[in-house]
Amino acid sequence: MESLEQIKNRAELAARGAKIDIVVNPGPAQQSSLLIDNEHAAAVAQFLRNHPALTFDYCSNATGVDWLDRVIKKTTKVKTVVDGVEKEVDQTIEEKIPGYLEAVYHLYSMKHKHGPLIIRMRTANRTDGARLPSLTPIWRSAELQEREIFDLYGIHFEGHPDLRRILMWDEFVDHPMRKDYREPDDYEWEPTPHDDVLEKAKQHYTPRPQLDGAENVTAQPQ
Amino acid sequence: MSEGQIDEALRSELQRQGVWVTSMQELYNWGRKNSIWPLQFGLACCAIEMIATAASRYDIARFGGEIFRPSPRQADLMIVAGTVTKKMAPQIVRLYNQMPDPKYVISMGACAISGGPFKQGYNVLKGIDRYIPVDVYIPGCPPRPEALLHAFMELQRKIDSQKLTGAGKAEHLDAKQPSEFPVPAFGEHDLQPPANPDVYHPPVLERQS
Amino acid sequence: MTPNPYLFIVIFVAVALAFPLLPLGLAWLWRRFFQPPKPGVQKNAIYECGVESIGEAQIQFRSQYYLYAIIFLIFDVEAIFLVPFAVAFTGLPVGAFIAILVFLLLLIEGLVWAWGKGCLNWAR
Ligand code: SF4
Repeated sequence: MESLEQIKNRAELAARGAKIDIVVNPGPAQQSSLLIDNEHAAAVAQFLRNHPALTFDYCSNATGVDWLDRVIKKTTKVKTVVDGVEKEVDQTIEEKIPGYLEAVYHLYSMKHKHGPLIIRMRTANRTDGARLPSLTPIWRSAELQEREIFDLYGIHFEGHPDLRRILMWDEFVDHPMRKDYREPDDYEWEPTPHDDVLEKAKQHYTPRPQLDGAENVTAQPQ
Repeated sequence: MSEGQIDEALRSELQRQGVWVTSMQELYNWGRKNSIWPLQFGLACCAIEMIATAASRYDIARFGGEIFRPSPRQADLMIVAGTVTKKMAPQIVRLYNQMPDPKYVISMGACAISGGPFKQGYNVLKGIDRYIPVDVYIPGCPPRPEALLHAFMELQRKIDSQKLTGAGKAEHLDAKQPSEFPVPAFGEHDLQPPANPDVYHPPVLERQS
Repeated sequence: MTPNPYLFIVIFVAVALAFPLLPLGLAWLWRRFFQPPKPGVQKNAIYECGVESIGEAQIQFRSQYYLYAIIFLIFDVEAIFLVPFAVAFTGLPVGAFIAILVFLLLLIEGLVWAWGKGCLNWAR
């Protein structure tokens, strides 16, 4: 398989105006990926599937990632003049990155037996209007998985032939795989709670003011 | 000696003379406990063990329970074998409601008891006893076929001890006991209601200081 | 004295009637004195798979099924006539063989005609 840079350059040439970034994975897997802009995603995907040297004809996996708002601290060396002497001083800049949702596709080529090529798309924000173009028209195998992403992360895939919930029922409104999902409180009977579960189960403990003193009662039973 | 019971000494004496004495209650319960027909459905991996129990090595037929019925109308016993997801729970309750009285429930495996390995999952019901009354619980993940057989024998023991008349008579003979339970509805965040308070009585947890 | 030969038939009918009626009667008595009936909306529901039924059961079926049923008759009739033919095949004269071939040909001709008419295509 060609290197990511080569694929990126070719794809940018083939799909005019497409903007592709390489997202580097510094982990041991070193599976870096291509970040594709939403507007040209369909054209780039078409290119990846049809180009004779690439022929990524099989989308084995599509999944979602939820990124919350986060703050990145960057430390740079800045030259400043302190007491008439020029010094190098560490300066910390806090950069705020607004949250977004991501859809990740793993592509393989059955014909050339190479892969995986990982492509990503990002939504503009994390609110419920989060939209991405659907790649189902290009890889049919993404259909159910995009429905799953829609169900669990709440990304709306435009151009998907049948976008409904797949795991949860239709009346359900939440997206359970989002990091800020709050599950319903049904922790009334936890025989061996610990950590998070203990905190939730404590909401259901009966207070014992005669033993612990009223001021120590932290939670009220419901 | 309570009413309806036979003096054991007299009975064995008569038996030696070639006379078999029994009571209506004994005959009725003997017939019922030896022909328990389970409902044929499995939900997850525990169902594989249930199938093994029905197959020749463990052979649930020895206890009269081999006739798995594909229709709730012909079943006496519901073996909830496997993970009950929240999406499946209304169907299970509806199946239970459609079974004719008398009916019994065995909650097989950690999942059916409490949600098991998936207890904190967003999609798993934390125990089928939130909606329907359970007669026998079998812990395990999955319980071995022997455990299911044990539960089956436990259920037979329970059936054997049920009374035909009097204050403590069996539920299905009591006109006041319900035979159907409300089916939970799909809510916006969870099943509605999350548990049926008439059925589900979790132990009260003392606050630990 | 030999009993009336019809007596056996009378006994047979009596037993045949008692066989289903006796358990039904016992069940009725049991229900009358011990087990109170507990009917309910879901217990009496017609569909019994745990899923709520939607809409009517009396819906229209496509006329295509009717055509298929008629064509199926060809094979049905064929099988009924072929089995006795096959059983007695070794003892049959050549004339019978030709006769059955003509019969088969007639049926096959009907199938080919239906095929040609497009009856086997599922019209959407
Ligand atoms: S209890 Fe274990 S074996 Fe049984 S259904 Fe749950 S996960 Fe599977």
